[in-house]
Amino acid sequence: MGDLFLPEVARIASMRDETPDTRTFALRLRDDRRHDSFSFRPGQFLELSVFGFGEAPFCFASSPTRPDSIETTVRRTGQLTNVLHTLAVGDEVGVRGPCGNGFDVEAARGKDLLFVGGGIGLPPLRGLIWNVLDERDRFGRIQILYGARTPTDLVYKDELRMWAERGDLELLVTVDRGESGWTGNVGMVPTLFDKTDLRPATTLAYVCGPPIMIKFVVQDLLMRGFAEESVISTLERMMQCGVGKCNHCAIGHCYICRDGPVFNFKQIRELVE
Amino acid sequence: MRPANDVHGRDPGASRLLAKSDLVSWIRRLMDDAEVIAPATGAGGDLMFAPVSDPEAVWLGPGNPLQPPKQYVLPQTDPIVRIERNGGGVQVSSISDERTRVIFGMRSCDARGMAYLRRMQATDLPDDAYLRRADRVTVVTLACTTPCTLGFCVCCDAGPFARDGHDVQLVDLGDRFLAEGATERGRAMVAEAPFRPATQVDVVKRDELEREAERHFGDESAHLGAAMRRISTRRVAEELWEAMSPWCFECGGCNFICPTCYCFSVKDRCQDHGWERCRTWDSCQYSAFTLEASGHNPRERRKDRIKRRFFHKVSAQYYQRDGAVGCVGCGRCVQTCLGTTDMPAVVAAIRKGVWHG
Amino acid sequence: MTTVLTTCPFCTCGCGLHLQADHGHLIGSAPSEHHPVGQGKLCARGWHAHEAPTWGQRLTRPLLRRGGEQVEASWAEAVDEVFRGLSGVLAAGDSVGVLGSARATNEENFLAVKLVRGALQTGNVDFCLRAGLQPVVDGIAEVTGDPWPPGRLLDLERSEVILLFEGNLAETHPRAASLVAAAVKRGARLVTVGWHRTHMSRLAARHLPVDSGAGYEVITGFLAAVLSGDQEAGTGTVTPDPGSEALRASLAGLSVDDPVREAATWYASAARASIVVSEGALLPDEARNGAAALAMLAAVTGHLGRAGSALLLLPSRGNQRGALEVGVRPDALPGGLPFDDEVMIAKLRRHWSREPSLVTGLDAEAMVAGCRGLVVVAEDLPAVIQAGRAGLDVLANHRFVVVLDSFATATARAAHAVLPVAAFGETDGTTTSLDGRVQRVRACVSPPGIARPGWQVLAELISRFGLPCTYGSIGDLHREMTDLVPLFAEIGEGQLDESWGALVSRPATGPEVRLRAVDLGRRDPVEGPCAAVFDEAFDWGSDPSVVHAPTLCRDHVARRKLFPTGFVEMNKVDADRLGVKPGWAVRLTSKHGEVTVPVVVSGEVAPGMARLPFSARDRVGVVLGGRGRAGVRVERV
Repeated sequence: MGDLFLPEVARIASMRDETPDTRTFALRLRDDRRHDSFSFRPGQFLELSVFGFGEAPFCFASSPTRPDSIETTVRRTGQLTNVLHTLAVGDEVGVRGPCGNGFDVEAARGKDLLFVGGGIGLPPLRGLIWNVLDERDRFGRIQILYGARTPTDLVYKDELRMWAERGDLELLVTVDRGESGWTGNVGMVPTLFDKTDLRPATTLAYVCGPPIMIKFVVQDLLMRGFAEESVISTLERMMQCGVGKCNHCAIGHCYICRDGPVFNFKQIRELVE
Repeated sequence: MRPANDVHGRDPGASRLLAKSDLVSWIRRLMDDAEVIAPATGAGGDLMFAPVSDPEAVWLGPGNPLQPPKQYVLPQTDPIVRIERNGGGVQVSSISDERTRVIFGMRSCDARGMAYLRRMQATDLPDDAYLRRADRVTVVTLACTTPCTLGFCVCCDAGPFARDGHDVQLVDLGDRFLAEGATERGRAMVAEAPFRPATQVDVVKRDELEREAERHFGDESAHLGAAMRRISTRRVAEELWEAMSPWCFECGGCNFICPTCYCFSVKDRCQDHGWERCRTWDSCQYSAFTLEASGHNPRERRKDRIKRRFFHKVSAQYYQRDGAVGCVGCGRCVQTCLGTTDMPAVVAAIRKGVWHG
Repeated sequence: MTTVLTTCPFCTCGCGLHLQADHGHLIGSAPSEHHPVGQGKLCARGWHAHEAPTWGQRLTRPLLRRGGEQVEASWAEAVDEVFRGLSGVLAAGDSVGVLGSARATNEENFLAVKLVRGALQTGNVDFCLRAGLQPVVDGIAEVTGDPWPPGRLLDLERSEVILLFEGNLAETHPRAASLVAAAVKRGARLVTVGWHRTHMSRLAARHLPVDSGAGYEVITGFLAAVLSGDQEAGTGTVTPDPGSEALRASLAGLSVDDPVREAATWYASAARASIVVSEGALLPDEARNGAAALAMLAAVTGHLGRAGSALLLLPSRGNQRGALEVGVRPDALPGGLPFDDEVMIAKLRRHWSREPSLVTGLDAEAMVAGCRGLVVVAEDLPAVIQAGRAGLDVLANHRFVVVLDSFATATARAAHAVLPVAAFGETDGTTTSLDGRVQRVRACVSPPGIARPGWQVLAELISRFGLPCTYGSIGDLHREMTDLVPLFAEIGEGQLDESWGALVSRPATGPEVRLRAVDLGRRDPVEGPCAAVFDEAFDWGSDPSVVHAPTLCRDHVARRKLFPTGFVEMNKVDADRLGVKPGWAVRLTSKHGEVTVPVVVSGEVAPGMARLPFSARDRVGVVLGGRGRAGVRVERV
């Protein structure tokens, strides 16, 4: 609908600070009808315009099962995100999307699901987690393993508490370095694998986080018997158009913004320059 | 009667004639309804595609402007979205460029370039604004009967006579042009006066000229096929790309001058009351092309960027995806490269497995 | 779509380019196929020449300081206030100075000179980038007798041997690098001399590493090798003279390493051989002697002035050569003519209807530090002065600062009066390339708001200061310049409007060559295990033409973001010895001071060297204490 590069105007409906440098923005398209017909899959991303400062890709952090707002969690890293963090509720931004392939939620039905997130990698998983939790009985076991550098760096702190209290999933949280008052696990994310019982044969594993964390986690999972097609992650590249035209995100003849950003590990391994 | 060697499946009845003496008046007629772009000698003695003001100055001799005509469907700075901030919030709208244009005197290689670009913008998620603009451009090519100095279009199946991307092809038969309508619009264009039907003699002459032109290329200078096989099966040694890298000066010229390159970035340009979001030409040879916000750069080393370029241009994977190779053999990169890493040189190096600088 | 033929404003190679506009905006840049130097090529900067004027934060209306703010004003008000402000400074007995610029056209720079020596009647005229260039020019002129060394960029294509003294040629002067590469491809032997491995050193037949950062030793080594009897001087015909004897004597006994000797032999025995010296390649305290030695090397081997053999001096930016030649300097008249040149004085008197000021004025650094009234033309001071950003604080002490610029720079924001002028692509004028081609720059679009061409603004200021200065067109201004700027005199009528401008005639050489003894005297020893130097002297990342060009600024922005407080580059060997990994903090201590910065491990930097970014000189320059090089102790923190 509309031209490929034309954003929709959206308003910031609410904001929540997750950590000192990370904030979740809940957006509503200014046109109600357009908002109601806007649909996306977890794992997809949107191109967010901060008018006057450009456009950048951010993953959807909310689930399509909760369509009141479109959420994205953004860390302050550069000019555009810094300006985004100065905006207030009611301010207008641009939204273009959804972009990318998203997680294949259908393929996960009936399976056991393992979510492994590190730091700012939890946001893309969160959308899928809520999607799954909102249709809980269509999926098998759910395990969520999450870690951040310090307790302050954990995102979605309230939701972590909510998930911990649910009886229909297992949540393990860890930090690389504790702080006073922290009584939970201390150690990198892979240390959580020994604290739970993994079932590689029936489980799809979704892994998101910093590249180095993904590397170690995936290695570990493969060693424990997960099939390469069952380990799923998201790839990041510099992006501009988000619609497979500008060529910034190409690896070989594969476009991360179109063929990804969600890939299983077999596909990732086969992606060669 | 269909000529025996009609390999293009054309309908001889669609071949028309234009007397050379009628050319100028025909161009003038085109100028009534459209902006006519054609090669002409501009400042500095440089041949350039430019809006025609004097039809007599249109250049129909040998040689192709260094700047390809892609700038008329994909300008170096191309406004695509208008963002206006007034009292009542932000308004966004698409910017359309729907100037009616005829690009006259284009060569076969560039016509292939236009077709390629169109395909890129039309596939997968179509860029409707681009397509609307391209649809308003009519292409009249002039067939090449002798090779240009640096060109190697036969290696890319993009010449010397046009294959696609054109509405009308003119072939110089001496005192007249044979005019072939390749599209519905093109056929309509040549259906009326001053065009008249061609004869069998004209068509035979045309075919002879095409064969002669192909023969003139002789043993062509760039064997893309062999290079394609090696690139696609990843049998090009890393050391070869490394050996090339001091011979590239990262000017980006190869991308900007190439009729099939279209990489871009998107930036907001400040205006009164808002911004214009523009698509701007970018180059995969620039180090920042893949630089991520975190500071990580997957193509930090120049050799990886050179490798990337040639994979995009010449691999079987892309050929399969796009239906065409990413090179039209125009030879412009040979002229414009600040270093020595132009297409023929790199293709030769890949074939031979050695780089000579 | 409109197109004009203009000249690239960046590195001084002076490539021709077609600038394109649509709907009143600059939208593209394309190379000129027939340009004698460009030959259908442009570098990354040239391909984006259209960006800075369109995307930069532009000054569009005059601004005057009221209280703590800058408020918009009309031209009439602004010019009035400039007159009152600067007159007030003069009346109080304080000094007023004008800074021209390597970013300005010849016309703008010439009028800056006229403003100072004609209207304001002082000698305080200079431009910030002259300081690095002048000693090199003077050193060569001592030997050749001419204000600029002979040679053309295109000579490089025919050279069989090229000696390159560079910062990083592929980055600073890409077209020159391209011509060197083309020569190498044709079989030429390239010798690179420098303290780090560069792109060009990878193409070299021989790289002569220089430790403790001094190319001077290599140059004197070349001379000694060439003069030591058994070297055939090319097909040279140097007539013996006392200078030649003194030169030989001063070098007798200097021991020369084999690689240096070999390279010298290549140079001396080649039929055509060139020397390319980049402005930042010689350290400040050796620049003059080093340049003189290079000129002597060319002279004694017979290469000086020979076709196909060039002695090329590469200024770092834009119109540096032009600024120098039209007289933007406190110590000479246009053309570098001395203050007692009666012929020039008479001409000035005639054109200006008054006595020109023949006073030696303050140089740029002194003006920035000490002139209570200052006019800054097209320059962002923190980018070019030694003190960097700290230099802006000094401006607060000035009584009246006027800035003429196109971009809202930090200097403009600190000014009392801002006069908005047209940028590249919006104004007509000329610039002078490194090898003496005076070429047109042309307007393709109008300047934004009510900004005006800089030459018109300066002419108006000159008139306001009582020296009537009206030009109906730029042609009128050229007629005056033709009479008053010696090199412009050589430009034929209409030649500037032909496509390729005017190649100013090659100066004569021969009997005027003056040889002299070479000074091998003690330099400050470099104390400390490591030698610290700055990287290439010109920081494009702080030049408004790049920093406002969205495509070009990316690398610079990224680097500054990654290292906001600066960094130091060291070889892996040194990093390993210190036990540091990339990004770890190290402390550098010299006799001038100390600084702690993250380390970047670079294969390009020679062991024993610590390379500091000029762009972060505010922060890291303390260890160099204003020198080109200093010994440092490096410790892990």
